[in-house]
Amino acid sequence: MVIPTALYYMFAPMIMGVIGLLADKMKTPKLRDGVAILLSLWGVVSMWMLYNMGINAGEILVINIGGNPPLGACLEIDMMSLYFAATAVITSFLVTVYSFSYMDHDTRLTEYYALLSAITVGMTGVAFAGDLFTLFIFWEMMGIASYSLVSFRKDRPGPIEAGFKYMIMGSVGSVILLFGMAFIYGMAGSLNFAVLANTIRGAALTPWTIIIFSTLIVGFGVKSAIVPMHTWLPDAHPEAPSPISALLSGIVIETGLYAMIRVLFILYEPALFQLPMAILAFATMTLGNLLALRQDDLKRMLAYSSIAQMGYMLIGLSTGLAYGLMGTFLHVFNHAFMKGTAFLAVGSIDHMTGTRDINELRGVGRKMPFTTFSILISFLGLAGVPGTSGFISKFVLFSSAIGVGYVLLAVFGILNSTLSVAYYARVIMALMGDAPENAVEAKEAPPLMITVTLLMALVILVFGIFPESVTSYATLASNALIEELSDYIGAIL
Amino acid sequence: MDPTIWLGTAFALFSIGIYCISKSNMIRILLGIEMILNAANFTFIYFAAQRAAAGYVDPLGQSFVFMSIVAGGCVVAVGLALIVNAYKQFETTDARELRRLKW
Repeated sequence: MVIPTALYYMFAPMIMGVIGLLADKMKTPKLRDGVAILLSLWGVVSMWMLYNMGINAGEILVINIGGNPPLGACLEIDMMSLYFAATAVITSFLVTVYSFSYMDHDTRLTEYYALLSAITVGMTGVAFAGDLFTLFIFWEMMGIASYSLVSFRKDRPGPIEAGFKYMIMGSVGSVILLFGMAFIYGMAGSLNFAVLANTIRGAALTPWTIIIFSTLIVGFGVKSAIVPMHTWLPDAHPEAPSPISALLSGIVIETGLYAMIRVLFILYEPALFQLPMAILAFATMTLGNLLALRQDDLKRMLAYSSIAQMGYMLIGLSTGLAYGLMGTFLHVFNHAFMKGTAFLAVGSIDHMTGTRDINELRGVGRKMPFTTFSILISFLGLAGVPGTSGFISKFVLFSSAIGVGYVLLAVFGILNSTLSVAYYARVIMALMGDAPENAVEAKEAPPLMITVTLLMALVILVFGIFPESVTSYATLASNALIEELSDYIGAIL
Repeated sequence: MDPTIWLGTAFALFSIGIYCISKSNMIRILLGIEMILNAANFTFIYFAAQRAAAGYVDPLGQSFVFMSIVAGGCVVAVGLALIVNAYKQFETTDARELRRLKW
C-alpha cells in the first residue's frame, strides 16, 4: 500500500480540527482562517500533482487499502474522477477565501472550517472511490458534514428546520442506497467496481436487477435533488450560510450525479437507463423552472434554478454517448462557477443589506456595482446566453439529445432556458431599477468578497469565449467513462 | 439457512422503519431511519454468511457492516443535536410544527 503524497490531502479535516482547537486556545483566530485557506489551496495543488502522475497520459492510478480486490477497499483515479475532484476543490478553495471575509462576525469558526474541509474531502473521496464500500463511507462523510453546515446558525428557527429536513431525507436516501449495495453484494459477492462490471454488466434482467436499479436511482437521486426527491433542496440551500449554499449548489449535488453516472455505467448497459433518465430530466428541469418563477427570496429562487440545471445535466446522461456526457461534465464545471458566483454575490448583498427579498432590494445595484455585475454575468450564463460558458455546455447537451433522437427533450430544454430568463431578468431589473424612497441602506461589499465574485464571473466569460481548454478535459473525462471502461476494469483485475 | 426467514426479517425491519418515518415525532423518525439502516446491515450479514468459505463468513460483508454502524451512529448524533436545537426553537418535538419554510 503506497499512498501518493498528494493524497495526504485526505487528512485535511483532521488537521483543520486540531489546528482550530489550538488556535482557539491561543486566541489567534486569523491563524486558523489562514490555515484553512492554505489547506484548501493544498487540495488544488494535490489535484495537479495527481494529474501529473500519469493520469495526463491516460493511465489509471489504483491504490489498494487493506488487501487486494475483491476483498480490500481501493481508490481508483482516472480522468473522470480527477475532473470532478478538481472542480470540487477549486470551488471549495474559492468558497474558503470568500468565507474569510463573509464569516467575520460569526463564532464557532473552528467547526465551520473543519466541516467545510470534511465536505470537500468527502466529495474528493466519492470521486476517487474504486468500490462501493469506499464510496459509501465518503458519501456519508460528505452528507453528515453538509447536514451540520446547513443548520450552522442554530440560534434561528429556519436553518434548524431546513437542516432537520435535509438530514431526514438525506439519510433515508443513504440507507436505501445501502440496501441496494446489500443486494449488489448478494448478487456479485464483491463491491469492487471492476468485479461488479464483470459479473452484473450484461447479465440478463431479473427482478433483482430492477430492484437494485431503483434503489440506486432513489439513493443517489435524493442527494442530487432529482424530481420527485428534490423537496429538501429549496429549504436547505437558502438557509445555509451563503458560502455553503454556493458549495452545496455548485458541487455537492453534482457529486451525487457523479456517483450515479459512475455506478450506472459500471452496472448496466446505457440502453436500460436512457428512457428513465430522459423522463427524469424533463420533470426536473420543468418543475425547477416553474417553481423558481414565483419566488421572492433571491437564494430560494437560485435553489430552484439549481434543480432546473440538474435537469439539463441529466439530458447528457440520457443520451448514453460520450458526446452527451461531455456536455454533462462541461455543465457541471460551468454550473459550479455560475451558481457559485450567483450565490456568493447574493451572499454579499445579504451580508451588506440584511435582506434577500427581491422587492426590498430595488435600486441596490447602483450602490453595489461590482457585486451586481457578477450577478448579471452569472445569470446570463445560467440562462445560456451566447458568449458565456453556460451557452457552450447547453449547446452540447441539447445537440446531443437531438443526435440520439430525443428531439422533444431538446425542444423542452430550449423552452425551459427561455422560461428561466423571466425570473433572472426580474432580479436584474429590480437591482438596476430606480431606488424608491424607502430603499434599504447598502454599500459595496469588502474587497476580498468582490475579488472572489469578480474572478469567478471572469472565468464564466473566458470559458464562454475560449472554451477549448475545459472542453478538452471534459472530452477526456467522458472518454475515460465510456470508451475506456475496459481499461478502468482492467486496471484492477 | 432459509432465505425466506432472513430476508423476511430484513423486510419486516424495513417496513417498521418506514412506518416510523411516516409519524410526526422527531425522535421516532430518527429511530425509523436507524431501523432501516439495521435492516440493510442484516441483509449484508445474511449474504456474507451465504458466501461462507472454509468455515468462516466473508470478511467483506462483516467489515462493511462495522463501518455502516459507525456512519449510522454519526447520523444519529447529528440528528439528536438537531432535535435538541429544534426543541429550543419550537418548544416541541412534533415534526408537523416545523412548517415555516414552504414554497
